[in-house]
Amino acid sequence: MVTPLPELGRFAEPALLILVSLSDGPKHGYAIMADVEQGTGRPMGPGTLYAALARLEERGFVEALPPVDRRRPYRLTALGATTVAEQLRELSAFAELGLRRLGQAPR
Amino acid sequence: MIALLLRLYPARWRARYGDEFGALLAERPLGPFDVADLLLGALDAHLHLRGLGSSSEHRKGLPMSLRLGGFAAFTGGALILAGWIWSGLDPAESDPGVLVFLVGAVALLVGLAGLSAFQARTHPRLVWAAFLLPAIGGAAMTFGGLAMVAVPDAPIVGDVSGWYFFIFGLLATIAGSVLFAIATFRTGALPRSGALALGVTSAISLVSFVGALGLGGEAQPILMLGFLAFTVGWIVLGLQAIRLDRPALVAGPA
Repeated sequence: MVTPLPELGRFAEPALLILVSLSDGPKHGYAIMADVEQGTGRPMGPGTLYAALARLEERGFVEALPPVDRRRPYRLTALGATTVAEQLRELSAFAELGLRRLGQAPR
Repeated sequence: MIALLLRLYPARWRARYGDEFGALLAERPLGPFDVADLLLGALDAHLHLRGLGSSSEHRKGLPMSLRLGGFAAFTGGALILAGWIWSGLDPAESDPGVLVFLVGAVALLVGLAGLSAFQARTHPRLVWAAFLLPAIGGAAMTFGGLAMVAVPDAPIVGDVSGWYFFIFGLLATIAGSVLFAIATFRTGALPRSGALALGVTSAISLVSFVGALGLGGEAQPILMLGFLAFTVGWIVLGLQAIRLDRPALVAGPA
């Protein structure tokens, strides 16, 4: 069974979206929200963003950089990069399993 | 409006995130969805994140097990190898080398415990099960080694001398390292290349030691290969763990 970012409870999915958003470089909060909305088609509220971001920082998956005009960029740590890669591999395998059971080939 | 919403969050949370959070809220008009999301976020911060950011105990705790575990695994592997070489260079005066070896064994136990604690956050049963054999082996090896230095060749439990504890502990540590490497590979919490290196080198080491059991003087090169492989595996995993605690290499801020 796939358990994305265990321990994060209802913030597991937003946390994964944030980690993926930071995978191509540091971003501040607003850029993460815009990137997530563009990638998923669903908005992420600021309260959810910072609740997940705080948990990710607490666990050492992301780290804050010095602020630029009150905007503070965050970047992925090596631990966060390993974790997100592992989560995505598990999700990919789970998606393939589901599609095979439905008799549909993965795209 | 923004200031009022920010006041809903705990003071310590505001001290850490308030400025950037206020800047984020000011960047776009707030809709009803955002306000509801903020209210839930503030409630969550009061319930779960009261000390977040300003109190970094948890943050220190997790990477500390990684940092300590990685450093101890690296040091333990290096000292065991150095001690083995040292005691082999002058078998007549082997005590200093054995002591270096034993310090390395203790460091390896610390490394094993640290890396296990780090990985146990996500796979506790698997990791602690894999921890048992090398931990028992490491403890027996250290006990046996100390007994060999303190009372050479004398039995310490029944008719069993420290040498037998040492050999049993060494073989259990090496076999347990294979299991630990498999568990580490499975969790994915540490780099899998490091887990693979430890698994392969420990397996080579185990085959070398078992193969050398029936041999006499010609066993020395095979034992050396076994020790070299075993210690290099732990050194590699330790280095990988230490490197994991660094930021990922990514581009500049958006």
